[in-house]
Amino acid sequence: MFKVSIRSLLSHKLRLLLTTLAIVIGVSSVAGTFIFIDTINSTFTRIFQAANAGVAVTVRGHELHGDSGGIGGRGRQAIPRSLVTTIKPVPGVRGIAGVLFRDGATMIGRDGKQIGGNGPPTFGGNWINDSEISPYHIRSGGPPTQATDVVVDAGTATSHNFSVGQQISIAFTVAPEQRFTISGIAGFGTSDNLAGATIALFREDTAERVLDGKNKYDEIDVSAQGGVSDIGLRDRIASTLPSYAEAATGQQAAQAAEQSTESTISTFIGTPLLVFAFIFLFVGSFLIVNTFNILVAQRTRELALLRAVGATRRQVLTSVLVEASLTGLVASLLGVLLGLVVASGLNSLIKAPPGTTLSLQPRSFIIGIVVGVVVTVLAATFPARRATRVAPVAALREALPETQALPRRRNVSGAAVFVLGCIATGVGLSGAAPATLQLLGAGVLGIFFGVALLAPLLVSPIAAVLGWPVRRFRGVSGLLARENARRNPRRTALTSAALMIGLALVTSVAVLTASFKASADAAIEGALRGDFIVFSQTGAEFSPAAAQILRRDTKVTNVTELRTSTILIGSASLGMVAIDPSALNTTLAFDMTSGDEGSIATRNTAIVDKAEASARGLAVGDMVTVGFPASPDVRMRIGGIYKQNAIAQGYIVSIATLAPNVSTTRDDVMLANAAPGVSLSDAESALKADLAAFPLVGAMNRAEYRTFVGSQIDDFLNLITGLLFLAVFIAVLGIVNTLALSVLERTREIGLIRALGMTRGQTRSMVRWESVLIALIGAVLGLAVGVGLGLALSNALHDLGIDHVAVPGGNLIFYAFVAGIFGVLAAIFPAIRASRLNVLNAIASE
Amino acid sequence: MADGSQQSSAQAATAVQPTRAASEASGSSAAHSVDAVKIYGRGDTAVRALDNVNVSFDKGRFTAIMGPSGSGKSTLLHCVAGLDRLTSGQVYIGDAELGALTDRQLTLLRRQKVGFIFQSYNLVPTLSALDNIVLPLTIAGHKPDGPALDEVVRITGLGPRLRHRPSELSGGQQQRVAAARALVSRPDIIFADEPTGNLDSRSSAELLDFLRHAVSDLGQTLAMVTHDPLAAVRADRVVFLADGRVVDEMTSPTADTILGVMRHLGD
Repeated sequence: MFKVSIRSLLSHKLRLLLTTLAIVIGVSSVAGTFIFIDTINSTFTRIFQAANAGVAVTVRGHELHGDSGGIGGRGRQAIPRSLVTTIKPVPGVRGIAGVLFRDGATMIGRDGKQIGGNGPPTFGGNWINDSEISPYHIRSGGPPTQATDVVVDAGTATSHNFSVGQQISIAFTVAPEQRFTISGIAGFGTSDNLAGATIALFREDTAERVLDGKNKYDEIDVSAQGGVSDIGLRDRIASTLPSYAEAATGQQAAQAAEQSTESTISTFIGTPLLVFAFIFLFVGSFLIVNTFNILVAQRTRELALLRAVGATRRQVLTSVLVEASLTGLVASLLGVLLGLVVASGLNSLIKAPPGTTLSLQPRSFIIGIVVGVVVTVLAATFPARRATRVAPVAALREALPETQALPRRRNVSGAAVFVLGCIATGVGLSGAAPATLQLLGAGVLGIFFGVALLAPLLVSPIAAVLGWPVRRFRGVSGLLARENARRNPRRTALTSAALMIGLALVTSVAVLTASFKASADAAIEGALRGDFIVFSQTGAEFSPAAAQILRRDTKVTNVTELRTSTILIGSASLGMVAIDPSALNTTLAFDMTSGDEGSIATRNTAIVDKAEASARGLAVGDMVTVGFPASPDVRMRIGGIYKQNAIAQGYIVSIATLAPNVSTTRDDVMLANAAPGVSLSDAESALKADLAAFPLVGAMNRAEYRTFVGSQIDDFLNLITGLLFLAVFIAVLGIVNTLALSVLERTREIGLIRALGMTRGQTRSMVRWESVLIALIGAVLGLAVGVGLGLALSNALHDLGIDHVAVPGGNLIFYAFVAGIFGVLAAIFPAIRASRLNVLNAIASE
Repeated sequence: MADGSQQSSAQAATAVQPTRAASEASGSSAAHSVDAVKIYGRGDTAVRALDNVNVSFDKGRFTAIMGPSGSGKSTLLHCVAGLDRLTSGQVYIGDAELGALTDRQLTLLRRQKVGFIFQSYNLVPTLSALDNIVLPLTIAGHKPDGPALDEVVRITGLGPRLRHRPSELSGGQQQRVAAARALVSRPDIIFADEPTGNLDSRSSAELLDFLRHAVSDLGQTLAMVTHDPLAAVRADRVVFLADGRVVDEMTSPTADTILGVMRHLGD
């Protein structure tokens, strides 16, 4: 029987090509994601290990609450310089160096544009003279000896053509832009820079000024004398440290940084990519089911003959499954190879440092191949089971067209799966169950399966309606196209179901983002009373000096600073925003459900958003204990509860309340109004002129800000849609596949209508319109399911501020139109094939 | 694809053959062939399926083509009907020489001037009986015209079953639908390839009555390939083929005369 499988596989290799392609795409995205993650991880491991090579012990502040981590680890509280004198005398210490290293020093390229910023951070730091400890290694030039000297990283120097001696402008978030002379070019550890992030290094006093690092270090690194163990030294140093600082060995610090980086990467890149890979495989599995269904149907006589000569059902089942696993294996092997290409593509997409080599762990290949084979075999199980039901007598009969009575059982189970899917989705969205995301995923999967099972019932009526104009305007080709689309509802349903899934996902994301956009727009309209909003493009905090300059300008008024801090309520890390109470209702408005926003003028009084209040059961007058990163807890009174706000979220207090509890004074956002009697445009140009010294800090008027927020949401939608369209592409391959096999199956019939006088053009038109109908059926189902899912999601995310629900009609029409176009494209080759069939083959007697 | 490769004008036949039929060309002839040669394969395996065939199908007449298996009778039908191309020689439908036509011209000619009835009914399974009958008109973009259609439909005797799909009809009924389809556009000539081959004797007789009626009363031209003497006997004229050549013909055949010729050919 094994031989039969192989023979059959080889004889159908062309037909299996498209199926294979679907698996290849899915497997390559799985394997590519794993290879990509491994590659980034090993790159960072290399960087951190090399950078910390000479560091025996590193002393740092505690991790900040609420910082979600990122490249290089979580944010930490800075430590005072005076600690150097505490640590230096500890026995075993050889060298010691204080390190300032923080985001917010953006180099300006020769073209006047900022380098980096939208993506990798732009780091600034102090040059470290102890070459054993320092991660920086001069490649050319020398260290910064003048106050206006800078050493830039080799990666940026290469990509932007910087050379030693050249003048360069650097913009800071906490200091005015300044010109520097490049004194040297350095590598970071053995790399050119920190995985794409730019690094600018200054003389220590300069760094202190431009990075807001007066009397502070971000860490103090120590090298050990010969024969001193890192761990022993760490313990001795730790015993001298005050409670706000901690010590770790250089290796520990490097490992912690690696782990944090790895978890950031897998959360923000790996998991989403794997979700998409899963979607591709899921859509691809429909293609596999359909292909094997058709292959089994075409081989009915052959299978019956095998049964007639004594093959058992089990042998027939095995032969089909062996064929499936061989197909899956070949496709998966191709898939993992393509995965290498996918991984390199992703690497260049995130601008991985040059010289990065792909990290090839056996795991990536094994998972890719196993997943590909398992999906193929599982999908082929349904058709294989049908193959076992072929009666031996079928070998003797004239091949009969498949009977089309749809088993009732299937409809009942389809409806059940659909309803269960809806329930699971509903419960998942309500957040009532513990495993919310898993439940939501299973629910959506159930809805897709349910609709796919029920689709055969829907195909005929939908085709009749959609097919009416086709019949009307495309004559006999239209009539035959419509009837062909309806003749095998199961096949049409399965083909369009794959498209349905892709389009449903695209549509639900579109509905969600449209709702989000409408809500954000309304929220901005409600909350932002100021004419202007000012914030840093990199999202970094900026110097309060900017606010001081604005306050001196008579053309603007009501300059409001928003300062944020992470706080700890119980064990939860949350945000606190401090504003001047005079800003209320002049630049910023809160929609209160109870209490009064003016209450924040009272010291240690906060207003809190409704979601947080209901989560903690807080009411006006309640007291909460607020933990600050580097100062004792404070008891605060709840003065009011507000509805979700577009500008300020979490606990809102006055600046006077926050100030004693934090060590830095930096602004996150500023709001301002045009002064009375000053036109908006005059005020805007004055404002922008005032901020010229802070090129990283940008001002927008209210309309610009709304457009900006909207466009950010659109960018997100476009990214997701782009990825999901790959799933739609797989579904289109499915249409090609189905059409090609249908054309083959209908050889006689096509020959007949050609004999009766159908031109080749009419024949092509017939196949083309059948394809368009299949695609449109998928579009109708997909849009319906997608709008439903999108509305459910939007409603469920009410707590996240989605209080407006919008259905983007234009997008939906566009998706349907695109589906139709895909239908036309899918039909190209099958139509050509149909029009070239030999007329005689059709009618020649058996 | 295959039909193009089989055509080779280089192999023009030069052999001189009796040309009884050729002289009757045009005028009274709905279709005719001149020195028709069809060769399948190449070199040692080449088979001469038609070997300088000259035959004419007269207007308003019912011609049967008979011959043993492999005599080339189906090949002749396919070539004259414009479904296959000759290796050399010419076939005409009316005044049109089929070899000179492009695929599209040939398709349009089939649509306008030719009707077909096949052995295995060959109905479009997705269309109702009525839609199958009017298919040649629909393909040409014509509206079926009332009285003529009614007449055709009436003589099929299908009545209420016209709205049924082919799979719900008996073999005899399906073949009557196919015959009505061939008749509905009033083509210049109808080609029937073993139309009774899959039918029981009663259905066969009904179909032959129907065809005879189409020729005698409606003035249709009919060319039918058959191996059944009981079918051939309903024709006005029988042409006998053997080894790709016309070997005999008779008018006003009887079962006995046909069997006599056939028995001789079978030897």
